[in-house]
Amino acid sequence: MIGYIFKRLLYGILVVLIMVTFVFVLMRSVPGDVVTLQLAEAGSVSEEQVDEMKSQLGLDKSIGIQLVVWLTNAVQGDLGNSLWSAQPVVNLIVERLPVTLELTFFSVILAIIIGIPIGVLSAVKHNSFIDHILRVTAVGGLSIPNFWLGLIILLVLSLVFNWIPPLGFKSFSENPIVNFQQMVFPALVLAVTLSASIIRMTRSALLEVLHTDFIRTIRSKGAKERVVIYKHALRNSLVSVITLIGIQIGTLLGGTVVLETIFSLPGLGSLIFESVTIRDYPIVQASVLTFGTMFLLVNLVVDVMYGWIDPRIRNN
Amino acid sequence: MQELQTVEKVILKENTKMFQFKENCRRFIRSNPIGTISIGFILLVILISVLAPIIAPYDPVLQNRQSILIGPNGTHILGTDELGRDVFSRIVYGSRISLLVGFSAVVFSMIFGIFFGVVSGYFGGVIDMIVQRIMDAIMSIPSLILALFIAALLGPAIQNVIIALVIVETPRFARIVRGEMLRIRETNYVEASRSIGSSVFRIIWKHAIPNMGAPIIVLASLAFGQSIIAEASLSFLGIGTPPPNPSWGLMLSDASRFMETAPWLVLFPGLALALCVLAFNLLGDALRDFLDPKISSKK
Amino acid sequence: MAKESGVLLQVDKMKTVFQTQSGYIEAVNGISFHIKKGETVAIVGESGSGKSVSAMSILRLLEKSGKVSSGRILFKDINLNELSDEEIRKVRGKEIAMIFQDPMSCLDPVYTIGDQIIEAIKIHEDLPKKEYYSRAVELLQLVGLPDAKARMSIYPHQLSGGQRQRVMIAIALACRPNLIIADEPTTALDVTVQAQIMELLKKLQTELGTAIILVTHDLGVVAEMADRVVVVYAGQVVEESNVIDLFNKPEHPYTEALLQSVPRIETNKNERLMAIKGSVPSLYDMPTGCRFHPRCPYASEICRQEEPPLMNLGENHYSKCWIKEKDIKKVMQNVNHNEQEDIEIIDSPHFGKHQNKKILEVHGLKKYFPITKGFFSRTVGYVRAVDGLSFDIHEGETLGLVGESGCGKSTSGRLITSLLKPTGGSVTFNGQDISRINRHALKKVRQRIQFVFQDPYSTLNPRMTVGDIIGEPLEVHRLVKGTEKYARIVELLETVGLTRNDIQKFPHQFSGGQRQRIGIARALATEPDLLICDEAVSALDVSVQAQILNLLRDLQQKLGLSYLFISHDLNVVKYISHRVCVMYLGEIVEIADSEVLFQNPLHPYSQALISAVPIPDPEGKSERIILEGEVPSPSNPPSGCKFHTRCLIATDTCQTQQPDLKEVSPGHKVACHNY
Repeated sequence: MIGYIFKRLLYGILVVLIMVTFVFVLMRSVPGDVVTLQLAEAGSVSEEQVDEMKSQLGLDKSIGIQLVVWLTNAVQGDLGNSLWSAQPVVNLIVERLPVTLELTFFSVILAIIIGIPIGVLSAVKHNSFIDHILRVTAVGGLSIPNFWLGLIILLVLSLVFNWIPPLGFKSFSENPIVNFQQMVFPALVLAVTLSASIIRMTRSALLEVLHTDFIRTIRSKGAKERVVIYKHALRNSLVSVITLIGIQIGTLLGGTVVLETIFSLPGLGSLIFESVTIRDYPIVQASVLTFGTMFLLVNLVVDVMYGWIDPRIRNN
Repeated sequence: MQELQTVEKVILKENTKMFQFKENCRRFIRSNPIGTISIGFILLVILISVLAPIIAPYDPVLQNRQSILIGPNGTHILGTDELGRDVFSRIVYGSRISLLVGFSAVVFSMIFGIFFGVVSGYFGGVIDMIVQRIMDAIMSIPSLILALFIAALLGPAIQNVIIALVIVETPRFARIVRGEMLRIRETNYVEASRSIGSSVFRIIWKHAIPNMGAPIIVLASLAFGQSIIAEASLSFLGIGTPPPNPSWGLMLSDASRFMETAPWLVLFPGLALALCVLAFNLLGDALRDFLDPKISSKK
Repeated sequence: MAKESGVLLQVDKMKTVFQTQSGYIEAVNGISFHIKKGETVAIVGESGSGKSVSAMSILRLLEKSGKVSSGRILFKDINLNELSDEEIRKVRGKEIAMIFQDPMSCLDPVYTIGDQIIEAIKIHEDLPKKEYYSRAVELLQLVGLPDAKARMSIYPHQLSGGQRQRVMIAIALACRPNLIIADEPTTALDVTVQAQIMELLKKLQTELGTAIILVTHDLGVVAEMADRVVVVYAGQVVEESNVIDLFNKPEHPYTEALLQSVPRIETNKNERLMAIKGSVPSLYDMPTGCRFHPRCPYASEICRQEEPPLMNLGENHYSKCWIKEKDIKKVMQNVNHNEQEDIEIIDSPHFGKHQNKKILEVHGLKKYFPITKGFFSRTVGYVRAVDGLSFDIHEGETLGLVGESGCGKSTSGRLITSLLKPTGGSVTFNGQDISRINRHALKKVRQRIQFVFQDPYSTLNPRMTVGDIIGEPLEVHRLVKGTEKYARIVELLETVGLTRNDIQKFPHQFSGGQRQRIGIARALATEPDLLICDEAVSALDVSVQAQILNLLRDLQQKLGLSYLFISHDLNVVKYISHRVCVMYLGEIVEIADSEVLFQNPLHPYSQALISAVPIPDPEGKSERIILEGEVPSPSNPPSGCKFHTRCLIATDTCQTQQPDLKEVSPGHKVACHNY
């Protein structure tokens, strides 16, 4: 098991390295480099100024060397400085990350609480009226663009309830009530899409397991239907459901950009958005990589959970 | 006599394949009312986008200072926006952008995806290793964030949105094609064909690609919906379709500033967006049910 | 049937229907039978006969779309069909237990086997916690799993197929039921393991007095295990009798044909098998009158019009047939007469094959698959799938290759055709070494060696028409074009017994036997010299299997083909082969003329293998050699003689020294230190 986790970890590091290279190459291969863009904002520039700036930022070296330098610094916790505020990028990310983590955590928990029971219900009542309604609802949930849903919720809150989430972000430790008021709606919106996927996956995985031979064995023992479904079938479907959650975390993380912007939450998502609009590339690059790493870490946890659920993986 | 037989054979064969296609359509309509409605809706949207100049009562980018932020009424059935542009006309023209982006993103990522997937799956080994690791790395970055990053680097333009989406979607197609390729490579009919002495090209072209259609079509349908949402999200964030183009996402972005005074601005473009995506998702589901051999074999 | 004393279960005119998109279909059409205490009743039939559905119907374990629509299922005078879900649940496992076919998929993979046995007890009995555990251990000991305590905390995937089936039996016995329904309990197992499990079931039945309903397609298993037999065809009982009468004087034409279509170890090789024409009817399209009439050689007008009743022929022997006994004899003579003629035509050019020239020589053939491990896929060992194989095939000869799963027989077939690259050794075809030739030359060779695969359902591309499938080799080798190609395809279709009209159909429009014919037609397209048949008839029902075996023999006579016939089924191999190789863990342990090998096997493994095959003759039960354990993993084969771990006469030499394949009499080679 430990060997297995170690292997997954190594694999994750390899993917992060490829990801860094990919992002790095992408950034450097875009017409109009960072320096010109930045200096262009300041007005007229001379060749020397550009060159000076470039060597200052290490941009005059080859892309391979730049990558190595960047990686060496990154390992030591230095992700460069913001082009505008000159603040270390690392500080910004550390400041913004908890908000996004909280939001993500909240929505995943919500999505699981909503998704799994409904999925089970839909599978157990297979092909019934309830099942049809739930299936269509789930597809609907997948189809609603989350930023639109966020806007609609804000609209309803202000027009119907005459209430808007309190301004000025408070962290959970500062003021849990305000924090809850600020977090609950974006988390809910994000959970809609994820729970719709979970419903669909739980339903189809459970239906598949319910048709396997070993479920027939358990029924032939005389087990109650409740035991058949919850003890045996659901546990065997969990691998698929957890895999799905791992993959869908990516969509969810992407959604934080839009929702943090709409709900004015100072998270990593809104940081990316702000930096993109002012073209603060070191921040964008570092944030993109942070998101990627988060995604990989979640999937590492998913891998560990496989082993916990399925002894065949554990023993391999 | 023998020539007659060839002709007869060709006719028979054409008949059979045509007949099969018609029969399949009939079966799909009968067994999948929801899927049929979705196809109908999608065709309607395509029609609307083609006939936009005829359907739209106003020029979608024409500003009219006299009629700013007017709610739905007789002259402007869905109201006007903050620059006095007709919302209905903008939504009608907006369908062109959504369909264009969705279609281009799906077609190109499908082509690249099939290429990488087939190469990776059939040849395996080092090529597979390298292709897969790169695909994994791309997929590790949340797709909207990657699209945002690429679109931001390239600057706001419709073709840049498409490029960003193709980069994001290609690995999904590649992964599914590779999986299918691995499965088909091990099937007995491919082994049978190899034992006959068929070339690699023949096996891929005659055996593999025709048999991986089902999952690709299903994925394409779902990816179409996803691409439409992604385009809208990027435009909403101001790095997708540049103004004054009537993109639905852009309309929502503008609308969010006047939400409380003009709620219709938020409602209608979003509804158009959600219905389009819903149609593609329902179609994807219907196709999956229809093409799944486990279900269709029962017929 | 009157109610008799000691009857445990009485099934009376049971009908089972399934709801489908095109309405209800009847899978079981009024089946009646009974079973007494301690008795074994076999329900035997081909696929689609409704035998498994009947078994599932008793405990209502059908899929949701299926239900028993009428009839009674009386168990101890209670009609199970009228019980509520909760009531029938209390019968399951407690009164009637089940054993299923595939032990690989019948246990929940995420719980230990201990948990799963304890669960079976817990559902019906309330005991102190410790007692559950000790009961479970007892059960594991009872079914002969060594080291029972340690096995309690093991997961299903850590056990072999035979061990899992033992666990299934332990679960079935958990509450000491009066009746066990075993649905093909040994079908998925290797023949030596099948012998172990049959032995175990018989032993447990004597000890515990449990009645067993045995559902199977294998007449050998029936003869071995059953007291009484119920033969089902197309959802109906066609014959019921005690086992001895059934095998000695079958009354129903279907039973009779079924018994004759199985090749037996003692079947004369020169006789054609009696095949039943056509295939089992589809549930959607049932024949009128007697459901067997389209395939019955004796069918007359009344059979087409009216369904016969189940007639009592005395001594509890029933047959659902209009034709009286003497009629059968008369018609049968006719049929047999025709057969005789066939044989004479076929048999004449059959002799003297061994003097013919060698078409294929295999020498020291090896295939090691690397086992990789860790992040960088280091090679940590090899699976020795094929480990030094040598044999020849002469022109016009059939060489059989038998062995249990994992012995490397299928890999060998693929190595010979270069579908896999050998690790070592040589393959010489028509005097040319083909194991190391370039692509172009290989393509030429592939015209001459063709393959017939096991599963006719998956070897045909579902999106190609039959014409395209059979035409593919012609296209690949650019042999003929246009009308000539069309004519050739028609010719091939007719050669294998299909028609010109089939050319534009798709594979799914055919039955299993017909698909295998298409596969054979494709293989014949390039006019090859050698056909490699890899389990070519294993996926087919026995009646259809006989058709294909006859076809293969006819083709050999007509075209002078050589066959390498790979199979796990010893009866089939003996019937079709001139010479036979027995393989064990990638090596040949014995090779001899087929008659010699089956009459006088020398290697202890061949002896055990041949004696383990269930014989379809209830009175001819011979002393059986039951091997212990199962085939070891080819990734870590035993030292010395690879068979020594299971051999009953192994000595110290066997553990250390590998025996050579020695010729003990002309043409008879064996790899054993005892010779």
